[in-house]
Amino acid sequence: MSTPDVLPIHQRFFRYLRRSWWPYILAIGPGMLAASAGNDAGGIATYASAGAAYGFSLLWVMVIITVAVAVVQEMSARLGAVTGKGFADLVRENFPIRMTAFIMLTLLLANTGIIVSEFVGIAAAAELFGISRYIAVPLAAFVMWFVITRGSYDRVEQFLLVLSAVFLAYVASAIMVKPDPHAILAGLKPVFQGDSAYIKIIVALVGTTISPYMQLYVQSSVVEKGVSISEFRYTRVDVFVGTVLAGIVATCIIVATAATLHPQGVIIDTAADAAMALAPIAGKYATELFGVGLLGASLLAAGILPLSTTYMLSESLGFERGVSRSWQEAPVFMGVFTVLIAFGAVIALIPGLPLISVLVGVYVINGLLLPIELLAIVSLINNKELMGSNVNGRLHNMIVWAIVVAVSILSLVYIGWQIFEWIIPVT
Amino acid sequence: MLFISQLLHLPVKARDGGDVGRIVDIMVRIDDRNYPPIGGILVSDRRRTFFIPASHLAEISLHTIQLNTTQINLEQFVRRNGEVLLNKDVLDHQIIDINGRRIVRVNDIQMALIDHDYCVVGVDVSPQALLRRLAPRSASPHIIGRQVISWADAQYLASAAPVQLKVSYNRLAEFSAVDLARIVDALSFRESAEIVAALDDETAAETLEEVSDERLVDLLEGMDQERAADILEEMTPNAAADLLEDLDAEFAKQILARMEPEEAEDVKELLAYAEDSVGRSMMTDLVLAFPDDTVADVIAGLRARHELPDPLTEIYVVEHSDHDSLQHIGSSLVGIVRLPKLLVSHASTPMHEILEEVPSIHASDPSEIAARVLGEYNLTAVPVIDDDGALVGAVSVDDALAELLPDIWHRRGTRNFG
Repeated sequence: MSTPDVLPIHQRFFRYLRRSWWPYILAIGPGMLAASAGNDAGGIATYASAGAAYGFSLLWVMVIITVAVAVVQEMSARLGAVTGKGFADLVRENFPIRMTAFIMLTLLLANTGIIVSEFVGIAAAAELFGISRYIAVPLAAFVMWFVITRGSYDRVEQFLLVLSAVFLAYVASAIMVKPDPHAILAGLKPVFQGDSAYIKIIVALVGTTISPYMQLYVQSSVVEKGVSISEFRYTRVDVFVGTVLAGIVATCIIVATAATLHPQGVIIDTAADAAMALAPIAGKYATELFGVGLLGASLLAAGILPLSTTYMLSESLGFERGVSRSWQEAPVFMGVFTVLIAFGAVIALIPGLPLISVLVGVYVINGLLLPIELLAIVSLINNKELMGSNVNGRLHNMIVWAIVVAVSILSLVYIGWQIFEWIIPVT
Repeated sequence: MLFISQLLHLPVKARDGGDVGRIVDIMVRIDDRNYPPIGGILVSDRRRTFFIPASHLAEISLHTIQLNTTQINLEQFVRRNGEVLLNKDVLDHQIIDINGRRIVRVNDIQMALIDHDYCVVGVDVSPQALLRRLAPRSASPHIIGRQVISWADAQYLASAAPVQLKVSYNRLAEFSAVDLARIVDALSFRESAEIVAALDDETAAETLEEVSDERLVDLLEGMDQERAADILEEMTPNAAADLLEDLDAEFAKQILARMEPEEAEDVKELLAYAEDSVGRSMMTDLVLAFPDDTVADVIAGLRARHELPDPLTEIYVVEHSDHDSLQHIGSSLVGIVRLPKLLVSHASTPMHEILEEVPSIHASDPSEIAARVLGEYNLTAVPVIDDDGALVGAVSVDDALAELLPDIWHRRGTRNFG
């Protein structure tokens, strides 16, 4: 019996293709999704109100923020690839137990608030299209729950990636409103206005774009995907591409409202306001695109956030983790995940929910947590025992420290403000 | 009986009652002993951290650590191989619960006096232990509940410590391949590599056959090539072929080159078949006989064999061909003799009298065909022939079943029997 050493030519060709750019395609996922989750209901509201209030003049801030996010996300992903452990895992093993408990609790609180805001976003988007929120929200919750608990990790990732294609709606929206290219370029030049509202909006932009749950998600999914350090270079591309794409989407949202609402002096608070405000000025399609974008983005985040939170709890408390396992294999994981989605959906349906206050509360908590989380990441990434030769280089560390300090100052300023306003209510 | 959570940050006092500092860690030397004794403590006095050997410890209580000397060596502590720090490397880390066949996290560490030495005797994995550490010290006595695993029944993962340790992995041999594979999948890469490195080739092969694909590739690529080759030799050729296909082509070629030529040949033959074909899932180690061989001949032949195929449910009767050797399959299949029939027949009965003719399938057929034929004809194995009609192997019932069940079902099934 003859034994062919060489495979047929077509099989060899496909094998070659597989080896050269397939790895990059296979690596897509963690970075892309983590970044996309930042463009959730709360994010869209922030970008829209930034565009409406300041026109194009905040675009340079977005560029800097996008770079900062990319740097932070890459570190989280690298931590996951080298150690094979999630953030909560690493914190538990390397920091005092009380610090671990503090971080986990604040994350749980913040994430739960954000989950509620996503379902509120879904409700608002559904109502833009004339569907009652009492149908849309439970349906959305069920769909996300079903897809994530029934699928293997890869399937779930594919589904979420397809869902994130919805962001093209914002790109289309931005193009349809025919923005002035010169104004856009002018906005990219750093011009700093000193007033408090301006600084506040910058702080909000930072807070919504660099959210702790994004770092947690990218690290946990890198681990669950099984990315090793030798394959990490592909994942790094996924992280950078994902962050840049998300930055572009955020910019498009700002452009869309800047070109239409800003000249009219329209102020908006929520994403739904933005969509409705667009209608008379930008036409029906721009509005509907905005609504579709809001719906999709909120759905995506409504899936990623509970997942990220459950990963975190399972890592630190030690129950079995994994999307790929069944109910019997990981009952606590599935249970926690279900409770988070159900809770978010139910609270979002409470009539008269003071959404803005909830969001403010969430941002305050996130603002408290962000400097601590960033410091923890920096400490871990420079830990030679943990990372071996994959620690940060000196230049890298300088950039990272600059980001950490800037973000921390902004966060603390924001919290200070909120407390100030809470004590002395603005009439 | 003391717990490390009760001792950390207690004041350390010299023999004359003077303050030395606060205890921040406890060092133990890991070796083959069931309950490793304390080698010393790490003390910190705000400016530096230094080491006090166990011989200087007079008494450990819940309020202070009393030394029997006033002389302290203030040299900065530098770790040596074999030394583990309980707070840094064991507390809050994961270990394997050997009896429970699962991974647990250490929430507290139990120590006891054995023959005048303080030794580590167990770890507490209960949630209450975690609560006690979080709550203020005054509240701790009111939180009751423990789940202590004896240190002898716990597998410490040496990769948790940054120095070399001589950890004994003997007890891992008690695990079934499926349980071990599940643990390997659940741990981080470094930890799973550590475990696989500690297994002998045969156990490693059995375990790796059950490990998930992504982890498998990472583990093999991180291994010494010689070892990878040894492990692949222990695997069934089908599992080895599947594995080699997922590896980097260059690496796979190098491993094949290091395998025993015979084993490598078997695997290469399988690699010639497409991934989901019968050719890939069939076994090639068959027991053959000629039509005029008697029952006695065949049984003698079986006894003379170095290793029997597993599973063995029938003998394949083939025609005489040019080479008269029974080792070489490649002749036409006449029929099969089921093993029960062989056992009850008279010793002088020739094969052609007790054989039965059965349908066969082609090596290039999709593997689901095997399951169908097996079911329709009530067979436990179906012979596989090549394009020339020569017998090349057989697909047994368990292989066909494994091909049928999609991956996630397969994992659920194995979990239920855990």
